[in-house]
Amino acid sequence: MLTYRKSTFASHLTTALTIVLALIWLMPLIFSILMSFRPPAEPVNQGNIFIGSEITLENYADAWAVAPWAGHYLNSIIFVLGTLAVQVFTITMAGYAFARMKFFGRDMLLILMLLQLMIPTGVLVVQNFATMRNLNLFDTHWALMMPYWGSAFGVLLMRQTFRGIPLELEEAARIDGANWLQIMRYVVVPLSIPAYVSFAIISISSHWNEYLWPAIVTRAEEVRPLTVGLNRLYQTSEVGALYGQLMAGTLFVIAPLMILFILFQRRFIESFINTGLK
Amino acid sequence: MFRPYISQSLLRKLKRMTATPSPLILEKPNTSYGARKTLWDWIFPYVLVLPTLIFVFMFTLLPAVNTVIDSTLSPGRRASEPAEFVGLENYQKLFDATHFIGGRFLPILGNTLIFTLVTIAISVPLALLLALLLNRKIRGLGFWRFSIFYPTLLPLMGAASIWAFLYSDTIGLFNTILRAFGLPGVNWLGDPNMVLLSITAMNIWKQSGYFMIFYLAGLQSIPKDIYEAADLDGATVWQQLRYLTLPLLNRTTLFVLVIAITFTFQTVEQLPAMNNGNPADRGNLVLYFIFQNISERRNWGYVNAMSLVLVGILLIFTIANFVLFERRSDVE
Repeated sequence: MLTYRKSTFASHLTTALTIVLALIWLMPLIFSILMSFRPPAEPVNQGNIFIGSEITLENYADAWAVAPWAGHYLNSIIFVLGTLAVQVFTITMAGYAFARMKFFGRDMLLILMLLQLMIPTGVLVVQNFATMRNLNLFDTHWALMMPYWGSAFGVLLMRQTFRGIPLELEEAARIDGANWLQIMRYVVVPLSIPAYVSFAIISISSHWNEYLWPAIVTRAEEVRPLTVGLNRLYQTSEVGALYGQLMAGTLFVIAPLMILFILFQRRFIESFINTGLK
Repeated sequence: MFRPYISQSLLRKLKRMTATPSPLILEKPNTSYGARKTLWDWIFPYVLVLPTLIFVFMFTLLPAVNTVIDSTLSPGRRASEPAEFVGLENYQKLFDATHFIGGRFLPILGNTLIFTLVTIAISVPLALLLALLLNRKIRGLGFWRFSIFYPTLLPLMGAASIWAFLYSDTIGLFNTILRAFGLPGVNWLGDPNMVLLSITAMNIWKQSGYFMIFYLAGLQSIPKDIYEAADLDGATVWQQLRYLTLPLLNRTTLFVLVIAITFTFQTVEQLPAMNNGNPADRGNLVLYFIFQNISERRNWGYVNAMSLVLVGILLIFTIANFVLFERRSDVE
């Protein structure tokens, strides 16, 4: 660990290195924001590299007009929340069964499920595309969400969490006459809120950012989420190289998650560490 | 796309929990109502597991098996023509440089290997350095961590469109800066010898922060008194780093390497916003090549064979890593 007892030359050097690296990493974000406020007719090679002759919102207005953004926002929200809502039920049920119940074939079923963690999901897109065609779900919100409704990662996370809850608490509720649903509702789930928050952060941020699956399995603008809308903006702006407009559109897509991240930085980082299931 | 990866510690946990069920469960089975197990008690666990199982079966297990099957079939050009079993012929064609798919697949596979290895060779050590730098008590720590980690949260598509602006030949940021200093601009995404490097550089920027947080977690799990003892013994900062921190982070490094390899092999969503695999496939990657062929019936067999080759490579890397690391920790 790079800790120094005294403020030495070396400690100043490491701090300086931190700042330099951080600035390099921030540079794309800073310049994309600056670019989005430049007049459309002034690329960075004209005049000042940081700020154009005036600060304008024209790019935002233009970008907003190019694609049906409101619809894309709605689609992204449906995709993300629809996925999460079903996941919460499936992982709670399966997680509880694997954590607390004894039944024939339990371990085999668990291993079967965990294969999902070992198979790279990217390559399955090919077959899942064919499945959606066969189910006649191509180009629907269902096609976007369904493949994620069974989450081995979530089941495992909830299983570990539920196992950490003292069994006595459940016993006590049972003796008081609570049925399974009541025990879940008043004992198990409330005690597992941090794990649910963790899972929600991972699920939401990964699906909000997803591009290839939505691009493959949808065609109509009425269904496509933000990332696919952004790609269309890219295709159109390429012709005139309207980077100000493209940066404005990019900020439309990334702003919600960035704001959430700034507000809940610690929880985000903890959740992402959880993706390693350590 | 989120891809959790199975870690070594998880494997150990799995081994433990599958070998002997936890005593918690053995001692107090689900029958503590006092009554005999009813039919519903027998069925209930399966009802709970069923929904997840159905979706995992439909969208993971079945497609995985179908990939294997379809990779040995040669589909007809039209839907009416039946698929024919051709054995390993599709695989043979993939590695035949004169074939129309093989001629493209082999160079693209090479690109993917270079892309992955260079990304990892730079971003993993960089992630360690960043974690060391950001594990100190410095002012504005939250801000510095944000500035390194935020690319992880950007959609690849969005990150790529930002970098498309930085890389643009005529009006991009990088070339504007170069030209301001009187240097010639570089055609970052158009030059066949440059394009793979440009994509790789962007990916290093995108992923280092993600790998960093695992090192941060690893660093924080090292007990502080080890360093106090080393301090008393007069060990310098560098000695502490070399003989304490790095060996203690071995496990984290293996874990990060496995994640990094599987992750990077499948990182292709930036391509549609940067170069679409152009020029002349010099900037193309395997998974993206698969997607480019997904809707062509006549290539279905090849698409599935390529998918399996990709899985095979990932498995080789994962197992090799695992074996190498296990051996090293036995010696210690």
